Amino acid sequence: MRRREFLAGVGSVGVVAGAGAVAVYGLPSTDSLRDGDGEGDRYDPLEIETIDAPGSDAGTIQVPDPDQPTFVDFFGTWCAPCIEQMPALAEANERIGDDVVFCSVTSENVGDGGALSEAELVEWWDDNDGNWTVGLDPTAELTARYLEGGYPSAVAIDASGRVQWADSGVKTADELVAGIEQALEADAGDE
Amino acid sequence: MERRTYLRSLGVAGVAGVAGCLDTLDGAVSGDDSRTVLSPSDDHPSDPPYPSHGDEFPSFSIPDPIAETTVSLDDFVGERPFVMTYFFTSCPDGACPALLLRLRRVQEDAAEHGYEDDIGLLAFTFDPERDTSPVLREYANEQGIDYEADNWQFLRPDTYEEAESLTVDTFGMALRRIDDDDEHEESDHDDHDHGEYTFAHNNRVTLVNEDGIVERAYPSAVLSEHAVDPETVVEDTRTVVGVE
Repeated sequence: MRRREFLAGVGSVGVVAGAGAVAVYGLPSTDSLRDGDGEGDRYDPLEIETIDAPGSDAGTIQVPDPDQPTFVDFFGTWCAPCIEQMPALAEANERIGDDVVFCSVTSENVGDGGALSEAELVEWWDDNDGNWTVGLDPTAELTARYLEGGYPSAVAIDASGRVQWADSGVKTADELVAGIEQALEADAGDE
Repeated sequence: MERRTYLRSLGVAGVAGVAGCLDTLDGAVSGDDSRTVLSPSDDHPSDPPYPSHGDEFPSFSIPDPIAETTVSLDDFVGERPFVMTYFFTSCPDGACPALLLRLRRVQEDAAEHGYEDDIGLLAFTFDPERDTSPVLREYANEQGIDYEADNWQFLRPDTYEEAESLTVDTFGMALRRIDDDDEHEESDHDDHDHGEYTFAHNNRVTLVNEDGIVERAYPSAVLSEHAVDPETVVEDTRTVVGVE
């Protein structure tokens, strides 16, 4: 640990961020989020519990689906940008949702003793005009695999389980559809 | 326990070391791979200006506003390893939820596999003005963290000045406070009386072993090309804890 060098640089963040190795791992700026790394990651499907809500049936789904492309929106009911993105998700689902497994997943502790009840989640979903599958990730295992930075975060996985597109932040419907198309095209290319 | 005696004396020296003799001291004790379970990481900068692989983790003593206790390095040395991250709840870009997700996954895995008593999870906020106890509780709920578990502790200095000093001088982290009218347009948190501001900060997660030696300092742990998968943090933690 080069304490002396560090102490010399403490006075100015700029100096710290510019010093040697730190430049590579420098101070993140709030607008320099990476976009879509992690392509090609492949995991076995996880079983995700889905809830009874508008557009969503109680049951389970496999994520990623072993037979067709899967799109997942990672959201939280506490997350204002997630609310902001709901209309874009609705439009994307309208346009391309039939071609993929299209779902939103929260890793909040939903249920008795959790951060919010299932009824509160359903109310949030309804208030924000969600009308597609909503899943729960109570141990954040799925979220930990695919969350691309912060919330909201979206991932499009092809039918063979490879991540083809992932990005965080509020997206437009066009951006979401373009991401999902990457998963569809990857599968077309495999055939 | 020779180790503990040694660490105690180091802690004392560390306080005096702010005056300028720390480099000599560090030169004598850092970069020693024999005190770590994990090998150095190829992907990390070598000898970075913050506590990293093989370094003694710096001594600290910081209030936990929810448990109403003070948490210090001595609570862990000789007792159990810990994983620490550095955040603030008003974090606008999702980096902090992503950092806490990594600690949450360790908490989930520990509970699932029975090592919950053998690991500490520390989330240090550098924003004591806004991160009050109720705010921290709500945030923990939102992020799915069991803050009432014995292995979870929020660390919050009493003042921003102390927080800044700990962040920069002790933990070796770049931190810059940005007032809203400079660079930042809006915050999602408008339910407080303080001025709007945010922070630019390193997104780091640190894994420290039972002897107080850093095993991993994942630099830019989220939102970067060096981001570390939550599962890697879990696996490294298991290795350091010694989970079979």
